[in-house]
Amino acid sequence: MRFHVPVFETKDLCVTIGNHRVLSHISMQIFQGDYVAIIGPNGGGKTTLIRVLLGLQQATSGEIRLFGVEQKKFTSWNKIGYVPQRATHIDTNFPATVLEVVMMGRTAKRKFLGLEHDDDRTIVHHAMVTMDVANLKDRLIGTLSGGQRQRVMIARALASEPEVLILDEPNTGVDVVSQKRFYDLLRQLNNEKQITIVFVTHDIGVIVDDIGRLFSVNETLVTCNNPKEAISCEDMSKLYGMDAHLIRNHHHH
Amino acid sequence: MEIFQYDFMQRAFIAGIIIAIIASVGGSFVVLKRYSLITETLAHSALVGVAIGLVAGVSPIAVAVVVALVSAWSIEYLRSYFNIYSDSILAIFLSGSLALAIVIVSLAGAFNTSLFSYLFGSILSVSTEELWIMGGAGTVALLLLLGFYKEFYFIAFDEEVAQVSGIRVTFFNFLLITIVAVIIALSIRVVGTLLIGALMVIPTVSALQYKKGFGATIWLALLFSLSAVIVGMLLSYYFALPSGAVIVLVILLIFMISLLVNRHS
Repeated sequence: MRFHVPVFETKDLCVTIGNHRVLSHISMQIFQGDYVAIIGPNGGGKTTLIRVLLGLQQATSGEIRLFGVEQKKFTSWNKIGYVPQRATHIDTNFPATVLEVVMMGRTAKRKFLGLEHDDDRTIVHHAMVTMDVANLKDRLIGTLSGGQRQRVMIARALASEPEVLILDEPNTGVDVVSQKRFYDLLRQLNNEKQITIVFVTHDIGVIVDDIGRLFSVNETLVTCNNPKEAISCEDMSKLYGMDAHLIRNHHHH
Repeated sequence: MEIFQYDFMQRAFIAGIIIAIIASVGGSFVVLKRYSLITETLAHSALVGVAIGLVAGVSPIAVAVVVALVSAWSIEYLRSYFNIYSDSILAIFLSGSLALAIVIVSLAGAFNTSLFSYLFGSILSVSTEELWIMGGAGTVALLLLLGFYKEFYFIAFDEEVAQVSGIRVTFFNFLLITIVAVIIALSIRVVGTLLIGALMVIPTVSALQYKKGFGATIWLALLFSLSAVIVGMLLSYYFALPSGAVIVLVILLIFMISLLVNRHS
């Protein structure tokens, strides 16, 4: 049984932007080793929830705790690996090789004057091998395909040796074959390395077999602790306007 | 070479090389942050310092450093905490500074050659004392840039992910703009306030045309900057032309060659 403090915890979290209420009274917990998918319609507040958790956006009211620590006092940011939504549409002219990008993941842990140590190089190499981008290490980031770039961004997050990985719709603009491979990798990270995974997506049909819990966000939050129980999730999906058909089809396999 | 028989030429070359190094390295981060125009703006703020220095009879370079710093911090503060577009803030500070400098200078009736030497550079008149200031402050600036290059680089690439990974983004943005302000104030003697932007921005933009990684891009920018300063000074010596302007024209030539060489790749 899990006995540790939640990785993320919110109590009565509300976010209002201008006059628009984006998130209402969100209370949730995400535990170590969880594999959580956050779904919901566009504009429903999925990304806002992630950004507020990470301190990139202000909550209007409510409480946020990271690893049991109040967000404002939280300092162990290196435990969190973040792959933002726009990871696949970065500035293609930026002068960065794959190796240089993945090495960024070591920045917050770097030693005096930013010198790279052998262990930094070992960890970075390992992250690149895990995400299958080691053979691209001298390529410029702007010359990669969407799927390759996405794996590089996750390799960078892994290079900081995070305990939790947050991915905001990283599969946007990535072809189907790459996506399949990508989900396999995520499952592997969750199973073998016990990395907590929080994953924002439209694409619930593909991953429903892997995920532990499903959060549906559309201003308010509904959690589904056993997404494989198609009936309850289907109801929930209807409630939030998702494509329930996809989920059920998947379970006929 | 006869050119190095003169003390003032030796000083000029040393000053030029110091500025070539720090301007290109510091400028590279500014270019990658898409913040090139900050260099022009801070150069005009430095001019206010020069004007105050000339009128008050104290070291124009020293006052320029102070005024450029105050301006840099105000810009960064407004950019971080108010809802004003970055480029609008830069435009406001650029023309505001120039207006202030003109009023100060004309109040003191000091429109003269000594002001011109700060507008267009006057590398041949660099004193030993100024050389020490450039060397000392330049070394500190370079050490900070190299010591924290990973932070600056990460922030330039993706500010939000850098923040989430635990890098103090606001602090490093202030630090970078502080270093840039100092570099600009130091560079005034070499190329002048009206031309320093070119020395900070063009070497990196030229290097970017070769589509290399960050390390290679920085080295190329440094190479271009040093070549331009050295070639520019030699040309200005042998053809009796203003050195600051010639240096900038040489960098522009390097830029155009870089564009042509890489036009199909």
